[in-house]
Amino acid sequence: MIASRLPVVLRKELLDGVRDRRSVASVVISALIGPLLVGFLFSQLAERQRVADEVKVPVVGAEFAPALVDWLKQQSGVSVVAGPARPEEAVRERKEDVVVIIARDFSSKFARSAPAGIKLVADATRDTARTKVRRVRQLLQRYSGEVSALRLIGRGISPAVAVPLRIEDVEVSSAQQRAAMIMAFVPMFLIMAAFVGGLQIATDSTAGERERASLEPLLLNPVSRWSVVAGKWLAASLFAGAGVVFSASLCMVVMQRVPLHDLGARFRLGAPELAAILALCVPVGFFSSSLQIFIATFAKSYKEAQSYLGLLMLLPTLPGVLAPIYPISGQPWLAPIPILGHYSLVTDLLGGKALPAHLLVISAVSTLCAAIVLVALTTRLFHKERIIFGR
Amino acid sequence: MIEISGLEKRFGEVVAVNGVTFSAPDGSVTGLLGPNGAGKTTTLRVLSGLMKADAGTVRVDGADVGADPVAAQALMGILPDSHGLYPRLTPREHIRYFGELHGMDRDSLNARTAHLISTLGLEHAADRRVEGFSHGERTKVALARALVHQPRNVILDEPTNGLDVMSTRAVRDLIRCLRLDGCCVLFSSHIMQEVSALCDSIVVIAHGRVVAHGAPDELRERTGRENLEDVFVSLVGLEEEPPQ
Repeated sequence: MIASRLPVVLRKELLDGVRDRRSVASVVISALIGPLLVGFLFSQLAERQRVADEVKVPVVGAEFAPALVDWLKQQSGVSVVAGPARPEEAVRERKEDVVVIIARDFSSKFARSAPAGIKLVADATRDTARTKVRRVRQLLQRYSGEVSALRLIGRGISPAVAVPLRIEDVEVSSAQQRAAMIMAFVPMFLIMAAFVGGLQIATDSTAGERERASLEPLLLNPVSRWSVVAGKWLAASLFAGAGVVFSASLCMVVMQRVPLHDLGARFRLGAPELAAILALCVPVGFFSSSLQIFIATFAKSYKEAQSYLGLLMLLPTLPGVLAPIYPISGQPWLAPIPILGHYSLVTDLLGGKALPAHLLVISAVSTLCAAIVLVALTTRLFHKERIIFGR
Repeated sequence: MIEISGLEKRFGEVVAVNGVTFSAPDGSVTGLLGPNGAGKTTTLRVLSGLMKADAGTVRVDGADVGADPVAAQALMGILPDSHGLYPRLTPREHIRYFGELHGMDRDSLNARTAHLISTLGLEHAADRRVEGFSHGERTKVALARALVHQPRNVILDEPTNGLDVMSTRAVRDLIRCLRLDGCCVLFSSHIMQEVSALCDSIVVIAHGRVVAHGAPDELRERTGRENLEDVFVSLVGLEEEPPQ
């Protein structure tokens, strides 16, 4: 006789949730933080890379080596400016990252094919200047190499004789490492978006319902407790899922605008990656909401629930804290464990690894099963007199 | 028709209800009268199916509340002791929500909602969020949603508590209407005037037991008091030792 009234409960909780400015705002804000931060960090990184490529070289004594200065000016991204009067002080006071000082006797020594003196003034403790210093040093070494090759040819010797080793750089630059570190934030932010997205409805429809004394009248209706709890759970889950979709899509947009190739990433993120990330992370919303509903049902008031759930918010950040100590990526056996598994799989995915479909299925099924167990436990709580009447 | 027999409910050491037996027939108003802490609310909570009795049975139109609370709940309209609302929903939405939970179809729900809103005089506020409503308006909304499915058995726990004169009148008029329609109305109160004005029969509860059950006049005769308040005081044993 009593058909499931789950959709009725779901519709009411969604209407109530949409009208609650706090719940809508929390979905939007939590979904925005991740992409904005990732975007900011990436653009900072790209900016730093660009600064290193386009280098301004302050030269003191340019008049002593006009050929070298001309050669420098011809290199792409390089411009030569007049150096400061007191080069060492300028570097120490961080007015300049690097200064090139050409010795007075440069041209005379150069003409005699003796090693001509050049000083490179730099501060080794300055992390930000390091790429620029290295770039200038490389430029000067290249000039030196070119000149030595010409001198050897002039003496009838093949320049290859003077090059016993040919060293080839395989780029594993620090920029790529930093890009990977920024990418590692993404799973954390997506899981946070799920936790924050469903929080308001999960709290309002359980602890809030108890606080307002509206739970008793609600349960007087001829509806199974399961329908009531599951309706509330689905409403919170839809908000949490919306948060994840919103956040993941924005992250993708941000990452597509960042020149990932320049930062050393091996692949581009596109629709298939987005789909895989959503398939992984949307179930997190169902899990986080079930956990929140379960815990919030113990609370007699909205405030009490928030103090419990505030602690719960630490959960999505935990894998991020553990990751540097315990390698969390490339561990497919973590897949069935909610949160930890998601962290691991999303990290792999963003690292350019192809995820086998069965891992996605295992992750989704086990996460949803955990959620359903928590909803069943909450349903048992909704049968307890101390929950229904305890205010 | 509500039949309660041998009802017992304990909270740890405390015996809240200790063998309550009475019945409330259709087409009449039965008042549940008793001092605070006598066991009225506990009795009504067991009747509503949300609380399990330790002993005894409760039947609503023959349906056993203990055995199948959900089936029994469909036969009852209950205004519980605490009847909180959803601040972001309007009265119309409150009524509709409960109607849908009872499985009403759209047309009858629309008609019933309109009827309840006009009967309770809520037209001016029907589509405003209930946030900021007065106590009287809130009680009316809670009452309307409890009655949305036209229940044959209506249970009201202190419905006029804290209401002003006009709201109290509206609730009393509603109770009279329900009786005329042939409903079984059971309501608890500790206001003598109200009980004597409305009730066909009175069940007096004290210390978790029924100490008297009868029409107001019968109770007056039995105790030899003219004033119903004196009747009550003598029945619940505030004058002398509680009856054993």
